[in-house]
Amino acid sequence: MRAYGIEFKEGPEGFGVYASKDVEPLRRARVIMEIPLELMLTVSKKLPWMFFPDIIPIGHPIFDIINSTDPEKDWDLRLACLLLYAFDKQDNFWQLYGDFLPSADECTSLLLATEEDLLELQDEALASTMRQQQKRALEFWEKNWHNGVPLKIKRLARDPERFIWAVSVAQSRCIDMQMRIGALVQDANMLIPYADMLNHSFQPNCFLHWRFKDRMLEVMINAGQRIKKGDEMTINYMCGQKNNMFMQRYGFSSAANPWDVIEFSGNARIHLESFLSAFNISGLPQEYYHNSHLSSLGGGDTFVDGAILAAARTLPTWSDRDVPPIPSLERKAAKELQEEGQKMLLAFPTTSQQDQKILDSMPEARRTLVSAIKYRLHRKLYIEKVIQAQDMYQELILY
Amino acid sequence: MASASANCLCEVTALRSAVNADGVFCMKPTSNCLQTSFLGSFRVQTLRAGMRSIRRAPLQPRVKCEKDDDSIEHVSVERPPYYSYLDSTSGQLEPASGARASIPGEEYWPEGTASRVRAAKAPEPTGNSLGSPSFGKNPGSRRKKYGTSVATSGSLEVGSESSSSDMEQPELGVDSNGSLEELEIAEDAMEEPKDVLAEYVVYQTEPEVEQEMGYELDKKLGRPHPFVDPKVKKPIEEPLTSEELWWNWRKPDKEQWSRWQRRRPDSETVFLKAMAETGQVKLYGDHPTLTETSLYRARRHIFKEERLQAEQERLERIGPMAYYSEWVKAWKRDTSREAVQKHFEETGENENTQLVEMFQHQTDREYRIMMGTDIRIRRDPLAMRMREDQIKQIWGGDPVYPTVNYIQDPNEIIDYRGPDFHEPTPDILSYLKEHGKIISRDELEKILAKEKTEELEITDMDEAMAQAVDIGENDDGGEESDESEVEEEEEKITRNWSVLKSTPELRKSKGKPKKEDPMSLEEAVGDSENLTDFLMDFEEEE
Repeated sequence: MRAYGIEFKEGPEGFGVYASKDVEPLRRARVIMEIPLELMLTVSKKLPWMFFPDIIPIGHPIFDIINSTDPEKDWDLRLACLLLYAFDKQDNFWQLYGDFLPSADECTSLLLATEEDLLELQDEALASTMRQQQKRALEFWEKNWHNGVPLKIKRLARDPERFIWAVSVAQSRCIDMQMRIGALVQDANMLIPYADMLNHSFQPNCFLHWRFKDRMLEVMINAGQRIKKGDEMTINYMCGQKNNMFMQRYGFSSAANPWDVIEFSGNARIHLESFLSAFNISGLPQEYYHNSHLSSLGGGDTFVDGAILAAARTLPTWSDRDVPPIPSLERKAAKELQEEGQKMLLAFPTTSQQDQKILDSMPEARRTLVSAIKYRLHRKLYIEKVIQAQDMYQELILY
Repeated sequence: MASASANCLCEVTALRSAVNADGVFCMKPTSNCLQTSFLGSFRVQTLRAGMRSIRRAPLQPRVKCEKDDDSIEHVSVERPPYYSYLDSTSGQLEPASGARASIPGEEYWPEGTASRVRAAKAPEPTGNSLGSPSFGKNPGSRRKKYGTSVATSGSLEVGSESSSSDMEQPELGVDSNGSLEELEIAEDAMEEPKDVLAEYVVYQTEPEVEQEMGYELDKKLGRPHPFVDPKVKKPIEEPLTSEELWWNWRKPDKEQWSRWQRRRPDSETVFLKAMAETGQVKLYGDHPTLTETSLYRARRHIFKEERLQAEQERLERIGPMAYYSEWVKAWKRDTSREAVQKHFEETGENENTQLVEMFQHQTDREYRIMMGTDIRIRRDPLAMRMREDQIKQIWGGDPVYPTVNYIQDPNEIIDYRGPDFHEPTPDILSYLKEHGKIISRDELEKILAKEKTEELEITDMDEAMAQAVDIGENDDGGEESDESEVEEEEEKITRNWSVLKSTPELRKSKGKPKKEDPMSLEEAVGDSENLTDFLMDFEEEE
């Protein structure tokens, strides 16, 4: 395993990968980490399940457990079994690396959340999904780790908490990649030691690449990306998912998720092009980005973030080739949308300020609780930002 | 003019030393320039005589230029004594030794080489690991729990071999995580549920490291240390004799077959050996090795150069007349410079003429010695001191006058065998006789004679008996087995006919009835197993 020009730093939120020196924008993607296959834990997604590196010996009962999982849905359970087995296998790298994984009380995954935390989410759908996941994991454990199993299985997960922790780690740190080994191309769920310390960002500066020649995973900086010393290296975990998906799988959320969705009901629509031009958003709908070249405002630059991009996608808009928008109608529509947003905010039991105060008041809270509160805080901030954007839009409609 | 110069001389005699000094500067060693420079120096001196006192003063302080004299580049006029070539690939000067062409830059490397080089160059992580691994028991035990500040180090490059981290000792694997610096966590590290421990045997996970002391510690840390561990060092013994030295040929155990197998002398080797025998040079063994020979060659070269230099300098110092008078024994006159000068003034003969005059008195032998062209006249003092056989080894003796080698012994058995000649095999005949594989002719005749008489006996029997056919009435099994035995032995015997004759044991079965000469016919018939015994078996005997 080699890392070039980066450091692994640990903060209160966990580990992060930071650049230790400046990188010039080259036309070629630079490798910052290369991790060989032997360090990873890999299961293929489809039958037959193949493990690279093949650490499970033939006849080990863990293989039967893995065999009994559902090929489509239970990838995290398989990975959890593999991870627990690797912890028990002598001379395996994960015995050492496991010390640096987030422990049960540091893990923000909602699988470890209590009922109280799930209620704090203020999102019933997500809460029920999480309850379902927890139940599933628990049932799996009970089915396969009952009292009669041989010791070599039993000692892998003595209590259900350990197993659920393993499932949460497997879910949150799994990297789904298509890898080619020899002539075989397969989709695999991979647990990769150092690359899973990379955090997520919606504007990532790194990506993962599988190097077939010597079976290494390369973490590479985007080509043309200028990086200063101390910048965080980030990748995009999931493309185009809402906050609740991130919360479900990874246990974090972001206020600036450009793919977040607000369901507006009603007929109010605003003109898409004028909205986009008001905020200097350019690009195709799939890839909206803030075009800083166009904006002349100094302060407006920081206002447009992922939330506005999400808004551009989710706000009900109309666009009819070259029919010009009527400003008064636009303003009316914007006002209507604002009202809807306000109503949505009111539907929440707490406001964002209250949430913020709650967060500040309990620095020692459980991680899952904190993340749950942050989730709803982000949601509210997002809606507030959309409302604010409507305001700005109304001001910026000049013609 | 002569008078004027004489006057000047008279004036200058007091300052002769200075004049001489000046004169020496102007004089060139070769005789050609002698005349002109000599005279030239005279003229200069005459000119200088009057202004001597004035010109001395300005001569003493050096003329100072603007630039510092020390920074003058001393460029040699001579060309360097080597050749220089341009490398065909790079166009640069070819390296002096047999170095390879320069390695091309990164643009020309095959694909993947750059990444491999970069991976190989990555340094090991420098951090220390805090805490100890729990080996899967406590995941998350070495993280900082709610750490206040971010721990940073300098820019670390994390590098650890994948295989090593998998297969290595856990202690070393810990080091690979060392770049992740953390505070020691007391909370969960040591806590383990007791029931877990009770079920397992705890192995020693971190083997104790032996501390190195003394010499090894110095060596590890790079402190000044002797080359050899003083505990292990063996004392210096006496140098081995020539026989024991491994690079010296040992004498063969036996006498060599021919003189061609002896050491072949090289002129330098022989010289060096002679020098060692006279004590001028100390060799490490009996015979000089290649190193010693080359060392001798180098020293000889240098000594020669020094000697030539000394001679040159001597010539310049004492003047050609004095120098060459060494080779002219008959020249008894004074040859110093002053005498030459005086003579020149008296007679007007310049130095060359005087030299010619001197050489008239030289004998041809002296001439030849001086020129060094006659090899019959020994010039090398060492060669004069060498033994005759040593000289003959190098120079091969006198081709004109016969030497010892030319005297030949008429009865000498000349050994034409070369050094590759191997020892002949021992006397085969006696060897075979000894082992009974060969018998002498007399014995053979005796045996043949015996055989002949027996055959005559057998052919006396009846025709009828000979024509009789065996019906097989008697015991067939026993007879046949005996027959087959006999026939087998017959076959054996017929192949090694000579062996048979010399080996009495093989002839037992047939020998017994045949040996008993006075057996009568009836007895013989009765004695034989089968009448076919008496038949001659022509097919088998070949």
